Amino acid sequence: MASAFTLSTGDNQVVAFGDGDAVPTLLVFFKHDCATCDLTLPLVERLHTALSAEGLRVVGISQDAVAHTSDVVARHHLSFTVALDGDLEVSADYGFDAVPALVLVGPDRAVVASFEGFTRPDLLTLTERAAAACGAAAPRLVHDGDGLPEHRPGCGSKVHDPDVARRLAVRRGAATLGARRVQVPIADDPFDFLSAQGLDDGLPVVPPTEARVLRMLDGTQRAASDVVAHVPPNLAPATVEKIAINAVMAGCRPEYLPVVIAATEAACTDQFNLHGVLATTYFVAPVIVVNGPIRRAIDLNCGANLFGQGFRANATIGRALQLVVRNIGGGKPGGVDMSTLGQPGKFTCCVGELEEASCWEPFHVERGFAADTSTVTVFAGEAPRAIRDQLSRTAPSLGASMGMCLQSMAHPKLAHVGEALLVVCPEHIRIFEQDGYTKADLRARIQEATARPLRELLPDADCQKGMTLRAVPNALLGPDGQPTAEGLETPLSKFQQDTDILVMVAGGTTGKFSAFLGGWANGAAGSMAVTREIRP
Amino acid sequence: MHEPLVILDPTDERAVIGRQLAARPEQLTGTLGIVDIAKPRGDVFLDELERLIRERLPALQVLRLRKPTYTKPSPPDLRDEVSSRCQAVIQALAD
Repeated sequence: MASAFTLSTGDNQVVAFGDGDAVPTLLVFFKHDCATCDLTLPLVERLHTALSAEGLRVVGISQDAVAHTSDVVARHHLSFTVALDGDLEVSADYGFDAVPALVLVGPDRAVVASFEGFTRPDLLTLTERAAAACGAAAPRLVHDGDGLPEHRPGCGSKVHDPDVARRLAVRRGAATLGARRVQVPIADDPFDFLSAQGLDDGLPVVPPTEARVLRMLDGTQRAASDVVAHVPPNLAPATVEKIAINAVMAGCRPEYLPVVIAATEAACTDQFNLHGVLATTYFVAPVIVVNGPIRRAIDLNCGANLFGQGFRANATIGRALQLVVRNIGGGKPGGVDMSTLGQPGKFTCCVGELEEASCWEPFHVERGFAADTSTVTVFAGEAPRAIRDQLSRTAPSLGASMGMCLQSMAHPKLAHVGEALLVVCPEHIRIFEQDGYTKADLRARIQEATARPLRELLPDADCQKGMTLRAVPNALLGPDGQPTAEGLETPLSKFQQDTDILVMVAGGTTGKFSAFLGGWANGAAGSMAVTREIRP
Repeated sequence: MHEPLVILDPTDERAVIGRQLAARPEQLTGTLGIVDIAKPRGDVFLDELERLIRERLPALQVLRLRKPTYTKPSPPDLRDEVSSRCQAVIQALAD
């Protein structure tokens, strides 16, 4: 069925086509700089002259603005109505590729005949059908020896001009976007405007125009209106569209969007406790670890300068999650974000595991996913801290080194303080590999190296900081709630359970420098790392 | 002439509800809730406060309550208990 439309002529007369048009109508789409249109339009004029009295309505639809259209009308002495389709909406609706395009429409807007370009047989057929629809004899528009070609291709419809195609796609796609439109005052710099509205993280953000957001949404198969999660602290619904808007602002490419979506989903779980991670006076930020094939597909850095600058995927994915928390969830420094010192990773922190350099199963496989599944893990972490050991040549020595450094996490006199993320560098992993050390061996060695008798961990005159009695395991306390003599001599390891030590492999191939990122509050009462599959 | 730039709103588009502080009571009557948010040593401070209140305001009922963890918002049951049973509440942050 032919689409209804309302256009206007060069002198602002309304031209409507739609329901209730009982008469056969011939629509003729053309543009001014098309030789095939110049060939065809005089024939259409003759058809109009022959059949208008019999009831045929002819409507020319120009793809040009007024001036060029008037030229065409004058050049060919067109007497039928010519409407302007400057926005090309009607042309796009009809979907032809070339002009001229002729569409003969009968009752109920049924298309009776149509063709593009110029072909004698198609013109003859259309003429016969137009005449039949009017109950008149078909006029002879063409005859032998009239010099008209049998066939001449048309010119490209302006709908396919690259700029127009892009603009049309935006206008059509934008209609599906639900977000409120905000007009940036014409005198304002868009970057300053976004900053003044409090929508940035202190660095300029990319203005989220409809065109950019639509391109971003191409990065996922999910519907823009899908609700991914409710983002603390306001527990506001994060739709795919809202996440895409913030991903644009962060500078993401469309292919990163599935990672940002999965990270949002993971961060907004009760287990990760984003509200607490945001509100705490402690340092932590959501640290994103990516595993699986997507690392290579999006060029995510897993190697040298892992936590550093210079890698767009790393820099913008972490930033996008922070903007989601700020703009959708409403969590901002000075508001719910009460961190005393914060840490630079609160701008952005996203890294990949260098699975290829590891002799161990990848981080996400250990957490229950298939090796060829792409995943994102969020961990509430401090900034990375150095483990400098260029001298250890055996796995037990290196494991002890790592334990001694981890002892300082939060405070050397605190045990059972939650999870830590240990990042083993390639030169260090080779030492573990050479000695056949498993991840379990490494964790056990760290627990061994960090074990201290309870008495050394309690507050004392030398240092008033230490484990509170509430944190001491009940088995070490007597009926009076105080540590027993035996309890005081019982060694406690840094971590409540071995699995609180999250282990990944990453970093540059040179340098015997691993790192750890301290976590936040202990176990289910605080925040625990959460892994989610990245879906297209 | 440039067209004005139109951007999409990245926020949740909800107006923030401004909350007012509850009116402060002229004097303490009925039941006073004392909520420990479960930060270390918060109980030390609140125990002493409770002792002083019981000593100086013997007619006042005191209800001790405790959040399961300071890291998360109060569970709804605890909020309900405070609002339904207490005429005033003291909640303390500690470390």
